[in-house]
Amino acid sequence: MTSRIFRTILSVVLLVLVLCMGLTTWILYTSFEDNLVTELKSELAYISQGILLGGTDYLSALPASSSRITWVAADGTVLFDSQADASLLENHSGREEIAEALSGYEGESYRYSETLSEKTIYYAKRLSDGTVLRVSGTQASVLSLLWQLLQPLLIVALGAALLSGVLASKLSRRIVAPINNLDLEHPEACESYDELAPLFHKLQHQQKEIQDRITALRHSQNELSAITENMNEGLILLGSDETVISLNASAARVFLADQDKIRGQNLIALNRSEQLSLVAEQALAGKPASSILNMRGRSYALYASPVPEQRAAVLLVLDVTEKQQAEELRREFSANVSHELKTPLTSISGYAEIIRDGLVDPADVPEFAGRIYAEANRLLALIRDIIRLSSLDEGAIGNQKEPVDLLSLCAGVCSRMQETAEKANVTLRVEGSTANLFGVRAILDEMVFNLCDNAIKYNKPGGSVTVSVRPLEDAVLLRVVDTGIGIPPELREKVFERFYRVDKSHSKQTGGTGLGLSIVKHGAAYHKASITVTDGPEGGTCIEIRFPK
Amino acid sequence: MRKGFDAQLQALNTELIEMGALIEHAIQSSVESLIEQDAKKARRAIAFDREVDQKEKDIESLCLKLLLQQQPVARDLRLISAVLKMITDMERIGDQSADISEIVIFLSESPYIAPLDLLPKMAEATVSMVTKSIDAFVKRDLALAQSVIQADDVVDQLFSAVRQELIDLIRQDPANGSQALDFLMIAKYFERIGDHAVNIAEWVVYAITGVHKSNEEGRADT
Repeated sequence: MTSRIFRTILSVVLLVLVLCMGLTTWILYTSFEDNLVTELKSELAYISQGILLGGTDYLSALPASSSRITWVAADGTVLFDSQADASLLENHSGREEIAEALSGYEGESYRYSETLSEKTIYYAKRLSDGTVLRVSGTQASVLSLLWQLLQPLLIVALGAALLSGVLASKLSRRIVAPINNLDLEHPEACESYDELAPLFHKLQHQQKEIQDRITALRHSQNELSAITENMNEGLILLGSDETVISLNASAARVFLADQDKIRGQNLIALNRSEQLSLVAEQALAGKPASSILNMRGRSYALYASPVPEQRAAVLLVLDVTEKQQAEELRREFSANVSHELKTPLTSISGYAEIIRDGLVDPADVPEFAGRIYAEANRLLALIRDIIRLSSLDEGAIGNQKEPVDLLSLCAGVCSRMQETAEKANVTLRVEGSTANLFGVRAILDEMVFNLCDNAIKYNKPGGSVTVSVRPLEDAVLLRVVDTGIGIPPELREKVFERFYRVDKSHSKQTGGTGLGLSIVKHGAAYHKASITVTDGPEGGTCIEIRFPK
Repeated sequence: MRKGFDAQLQALNTELIEMGALIEHAIQSSVESLIEQDAKKARRAIAFDREVDQKEKDIESLCLKLLLQQQPVARDLRLISAVLKMITDMERIGDQSADISEIVIFLSESPYIAPLDLLPKMAEATVSMVTKSIDAFVKRDLALAQSVIQADDVVDQLFSAVRQELIDLIRQDPANGSQALDFLMIAKYFERIGDHAVNIAEWVVYAITGVHKSNEEGRADT
């Protein structure tokens, strides 16, 4: 822009300069000519007076001057010439100015020299005696005048051009300066040409629009990163060649990686396991894939999905340790259940078969029937326990919670079990004070029953079982203490597992289902109670359940 | 120019980690085959060795190409020369886990003379050393590399313990001798793998700090 303004100013100045010079030359030229003509006229006037008085002698006596003086007789014969020998000159009657003078009074004409560099002006006047006097002067022509003036003109032109160049450059810079100094970030604050105001307005408008759009973009980006950064699942975005484009905080935590350092690196820098590279490879090839990755004692499910248009993949990492453990537990449970169900059924079917085939002495039939009855009872107990347990598992128990007096509940259970205890030669006692808690009566009953049942079963003859209930400030304490065989400390966690028995060989005799303590544990969990197992007196066991109020 | 060089360095980095992953898988398979007496797994571990060898050649030629074409200086040169040294150790680890697997194939034909106790512990310690040395390279983690160098003492002690146990076994019954010697060989291979892991860790230290242990202490590296 500056250079364009500069060029325009300079060319205008130069054009004006050239025009001025041409005009000045022309005006000068015409005024020179006018001066010459006036001079010639006055010279002619006073010389004609002289001729009338002195004739040829006067002319000869005239000092040499720039103008040429010619005296011509009425017939055209040259009588005198100041610059040539008159006798040698031809008859002048044919010359335009002389002919004019002869026919009238005065005459004049211009003639150019051969080179056109000079112009001669002739001026003639008829004198009173009939002769004609002619004075002529030469003047440089326009072209030669120009030629003569060329050098000074050039110097002036050059000077003017230089000056105008400097000025034009300064001027153009000054014109552009406010535009250059514009603060485009804040167009509204700019003080500049009024003509630019609409532009600024538009600019301001657009700037605001851009600003709004950036804000909106940043918002959505923040939103997205807030989601990905705070989700529990690991999320990894893979580019082609298995480059990690981004990964969220969870993924960085799972793979113990630095979120910023890993970006742009190959996936193998994150983790070198075969499973991960395999699912990534498949997803980048366009096929969704999944796998399980075991790392530092935990299991992670990997789900890789391709992003078709961009040759990229999204990798989701989920911690499935608990899920896998639960699955494992379920598998174990169903295997155990089938086994536990099969054992009594095999006995029942065996005894029944013998009776059917008549292999049993009729006198012995009641005994066999008794065994079948006992096994069937065991089966029933087992199925009842399983149903309890699964209903506890689902947490969907029809029973409503109600205020329960734990002491009277324990007393009820113990009176029901008194007979069993006597058979096992075990003293069963209930002590403590009334303690109300908010719970499901059926479940609590089941828990106390199972605890007492275990305490009696795994007791020594002559031993004792004490059930005590004690209200505390913020909890109700239920304690079942026996003098039985006890549980080794390292197994105290395990006894609450389904079908777990400390002494496997003993199970057949005691006839338990292996689910009792499991039911206790689930019942406690249902009531948000905590269980602690400690040593009881005489090598026995003390199980303490703390129900929060 | 520099951009292309950076991309090549990144590729070299990735290739080396891939080779690290290969030897990890190889040694892991060897250990599993030993514990489970699984000849199939042992053969798989041996198959890894060929891949490891190929990878070593690839990385070597990439290093030489980088050295000749880019004439790297300072840190880049250090990295490339460290990689050149590391792949040798990695290749040796690959070889030794293949050697272990070969013995395992032979051993899988008859039951072990005694339940494995110290050997799996030793295997675990070495595998962890190898994994840590590669992790140290991946994360440029100086402290982790140092921990690998220190962990070598544990493996050495375990080797002595294994040796003593095997001597006792032979003393009990000279018929145990043949298997005991095989176990001793395996233990020695593990001990060597541990040494190679230490070498790798030392080169990782060199790539990060520019100081190699052999220069620091003025003695030849083992």
